Amino acid sequence: MFRIALKGVLARKGRLVLTSIAVVLGTAFLSGTSVFTATLNRTFDNLFSDVFKNVNAYVRSTEVVDTDFGFQERQRVETNLVDIVAKVPGVDAAAANLQAFARIVGKDGKPLGNEGNGPPTFGSSVVDSKADIWQMSEGRFPKGPTEVALDEASAEAGKFVLGDTVKVITAVGSQEFTLVGIANYGDVRSPGGATFALWDVDTASSLLAKPGYIDAVIVVGDGTMSDEALTQKIQAALPTGKNLETITGAQITKETQDDIKTALSFFGILLTIFAFIGLGVGSFVIYNVFSISAAQRQRENALLRAIGASRRQVTIAMLLESLAVGLVGSVLGLLGGIGLSAGLTALLKAIGVDLPSNGLVVGANTIVQTILIGLIVTVASALLPAFRAGRVPPLAAMRDTALDTAGKPRVRLVLGGTPLLAGMALIGAVIGGARTELLGLAILFIFIGALTLGPLVARPVALTLGRPIASVRGVTGRMARQNAARNPKRTSRTAAPVLIGVALVTAVTALAASIQAEIRGVFGEQFTGDFTISSEAQGFGGLSPSLAVDVSKLDGVKQATGIGQSVVEVEGKGRFLTVINPKTVEGIFDIGLLGDAKVTSLSKNGVLVSEKTAERDKLTNGSTIPAKLSDGTQVDLVVEGVYANDQLAGRYTVSSELFEGTTVSRFDFGVYILKSEGTDSGTLRADLQKLVDSYGSGTLLSKDEYIDKQAAQVNQLLGLIYGLLFLSIIIAIVGIIITLLLSVYERQREIGLLRAVGMTRGQVRSAVRWESVITSLIGAVTGILLGFVLGYVVILSLRDQGITKFELPISSAVTILIVAFVVGVLAAAYPARRATKVDVLAALNTI
Amino acid sequence: MSPIDNQSLSATLPPPPPPGPNAAASVVGASKVYGSGDSAVYALNEVSVEFRKGEFTAIMGPSGSGKSTLMHCIAGLDELTSGDAYVDSVNLAHLNDKDLTVLRRTKIGFIFQAFNLVPTLTAEENIKLPLLLGNEDGDAEWIARIIDTVHLADRLTHRPSELSGGQQQRVAVARALASRPSIIFADEPTGNLDSTTGTEILSFMRRAVTDLGQTIVMVTHDPVAAAYSDRIIFLADGKVVDEMREPTAAKVLDRMKSLGN
Repeated sequence: MFRIALKGVLARKGRLVLTSIAVVLGTAFLSGTSVFTATLNRTFDNLFSDVFKNVNAYVRSTEVVDTDFGFQERQRVETNLVDIVAKVPGVDAAAANLQAFARIVGKDGKPLGNEGNGPPTFGSSVVDSKADIWQMSEGRFPKGPTEVALDEASAEAGKFVLGDTVKVITAVGSQEFTLVGIANYGDVRSPGGATFALWDVDTASSLLAKPGYIDAVIVVGDGTMSDEALTQKIQAALPTGKNLETITGAQITKETQDDIKTALSFFGILLTIFAFIGLGVGSFVIYNVFSISAAQRQRENALLRAIGASRRQVTIAMLLESLAVGLVGSVLGLLGGIGLSAGLTALLKAIGVDLPSNGLVVGANTIVQTILIGLIVTVASALLPAFRAGRVPPLAAMRDTALDTAGKPRVRLVLGGTPLLAGMALIGAVIGGARTELLGLAILFIFIGALTLGPLVARPVALTLGRPIASVRGVTGRMARQNAARNPKRTSRTAAPVLIGVALVTAVTALAASIQAEIRGVFGEQFTGDFTISSEAQGFGGLSPSLAVDVSKLDGVKQATGIGQSVVEVEGKGRFLTVINPKTVEGIFDIGLLGDAKVTSLSKNGVLVSEKTAERDKLTNGSTIPAKLSDGTQVDLVVEGVYANDQLAGRYTVSSELFEGTTVSRFDFGVYILKSEGTDSGTLRADLQKLVDSYGSGTLLSKDEYIDKQAAQVNQLLGLIYGLLFLSIIIAIVGIIITLLLSVYERQREIGLLRAVGMTRGQVRSAVRWESVITSLIGAVTGILLGFVLGYVVILSLRDQGITKFELPISSAVTILIVAFVVGVLAAAYPARRATKVDVLAALNTI
Repeated sequence: MSPIDNQSLSATLPPPPPPGPNAAASVVGASKVYGSGDSAVYALNEVSVEFRKGEFTAIMGPSGSGKSTLMHCIAGLDELTSGDAYVDSVNLAHLNDKDLTVLRRTKIGFIFQAFNLVPTLTAEENIKLPLLLGNEDGDAEWIARIIDTVHLADRLTHRPSELSGGQQQRVAVARALASRPSIIFADEPTGNLDSTTGTEILSFMRRAVTDLGQTIVMVTHDPVAAAYSDRIIFLADGKVVDEMREPTAAKVLDRMKSLGN
């Protein structure tokens, strides 16, 4: 039987290739993801082992504020700690480590690096010491408040040479320095594509932290004792009561590597999710191909049964074939994935992320995982068709044509209708107030229901969608319509990948449209200024707080206020605070204070809390909230008011005064400006732009532009998701191509007859093309409907996050329909060409 | 004789005479060769035959005698190796694939042994298929008359799967007639039918010739079927070996026996 199965596979190489393509696409993305994340992980592992290669010990504060999103802010230590540590016996060298946001402004006035979504831009301390990895490749180490050094890559990108004046933006504003050195970082010109401005320790600490403070002390031992012993010695010599700890070089290496892995794991998980979506969609294609090929081989299988093969043997032959297909496909997919990952790495290099790459990491687990999953998915997809093939009655060999076993519609109706109704009921329950977590289950039920009911609706939907085509395209359109409807199971299986992809895209688009509508509403209501200067840096750096002050001094500005964000620890958890300036915020940014509280009277230690927070934590005016600032300062915040509009301000709002006298780096994310009556907007805008240019950071926008831009941020997310769902579209196209090819093969005689009675090649092409378009549109239309439901469900689940509006993305739906149309046409190209090549005589003579 | 010899031979001959004014279709010096050199096989060997308008011709001969090949070549489904085929005085050798397709649609009707209809179209759509493909309305009165002749008026909205074998073949006959072609080719039209249904189909074909003035060429093994024709052409080994007018089944059977000897 094995030999028969193998012969069957080899005799139909074309089909083997077609089925394998679906497996290849699914597994390629999976292995690509796996190889890419492994490579990225190892790259960073190597990078940090290099960075800390000579480090034997590391001294830092024990005080950490964790934020919601896994970031950590660690308290800083005093600079004099370096000298204390350097005197410990066994220490060869100790150096300050200080790193924070700083941005180098190029000669053309444009800041280097991409604020929003590029590698970070840093300022750092640098000292000529064994304990500092930076070395000057040109010039000398910077000394004093007017000198700076740059990393090699940034110096080249900004076209700076020694002696040039370099402007750098930091938390305290922008300043100019003289370039005295160009540095390299061990073997690399700039670590991980980040830009670096380097100062001596005192200058760096006053620019980046607070004078006299640094992040940590890096220690290199003299080799007389183990790292552990050295660490203990240093720890013993540290001043007590200052919350300091000493860890070994190996520990800090491991910690940093783990941090990066955690940060990257989100990316890896996202890619893996999409890989599995692709694989899931691909499994439909595989299932479809095996079903069709089983139907086409019905007579052959029946003949085998008639001459004595058992059901099991027929089924096993089919499963062996799927094993071969799975193996070929997975191996090709593995190779394709490695290529894909190489392409991604090259792409990163091209956009400036120069990672010290040591080649791709193709781990044994990647190989095993890819091939195993590829095999399992393929064989599992072939299971049902294989069992069905085994059930073929031997008598079918004598019958003329292979019939599409339609199954029992009533059974299918029950099997598909039950989960669909259950899903709907769950949604209803959630609308009625049940737990939002149930929505996940509802989505699953609805998907299962929709895919099961597919064959039942495929025929009526195909006939409906085909009606306009039939009336426009005449007899070829009519035939296309009937062909799309003649095999409802096959049509619905072919349309399923399109359905899944389209449903996901539609749901995400609906979500994005709703969020955008929400953002527009919120900003329109709460922000009453005329202009804003905003920073694109998200969560890292931003606008210097002095910008708001300078703006308010301009002629024609009635009022300007800066708004920022900071993290504090409340009850052991990191929380975001909105930081406002109570003296200037009134009348520009409205958080909807309740009662007779006034934002202008917010005191240094005062806090305004959102209504929900007040309710949840039972806070009233005068309640105190013990909080720890990110530099470790303990404060008791006193509630001075409760506000309603928490969409922008979040849970807590404090005064910028709170941070005076602390080492917390403070930035504004936006400066909001109200112009004086009678001021010409154009003139004011020009003046503002000049000021912004002199700072070298921030984007000036009118109120409308600003709101548009806030809404457009959602599009970035959309772009990413569209890009990845592109994969499922490709798989859907491949699925349609394969199905059409098999259908064309199956209908050879029919095509021959049509050609004989006078159908032109063009008409044959047209009929295949329109059939493909109808199939693709079936997937698109049902997918859009499902996507609307899905989008609604997701928005429902976000109702606690304040998303309340549901917008139907009609224009996107139209775009999707057009794309589906084009997909149909493209997918039909090759099968249609094959159909025109059908040999009329041969087709008529095969009976 | 190799095909090269054959070509040089035909080059020395005077150009073949154009088909007579009464011919619906004809072949002149038609040869069809498969393979070349020693392994060359002649499916047709220098056949010249004319099918007159308004005549029902049957082509008979044992398997491999070339009767299907002859039909396919005149119908523009296959190409001659040498010689010429004419339909309505048009030399098929001068037509490209597209012109041939249009010729089949407008001038030629087909009735096959099996799988004659498009399963996704209704009986009426199948009947009008050549017209629909050409985006023509056709002669409504003519089509109504055909449908009436083959007794299909109450079956028009049915699909082939809902029709009996005989009904399907009647639809095929109606389709062949619908565009009022110059000539209809039928390839074993009763081969898949029981004798009663077969008789029914043959009498429809007979009536199409007698009453409607159509021209039919039918390939068959069956002496009874052949007896419905006006004229029988006997083929053997790719050559016309005999011809019979006003045949009866008994005469045909006799002749076949003698051919067999």
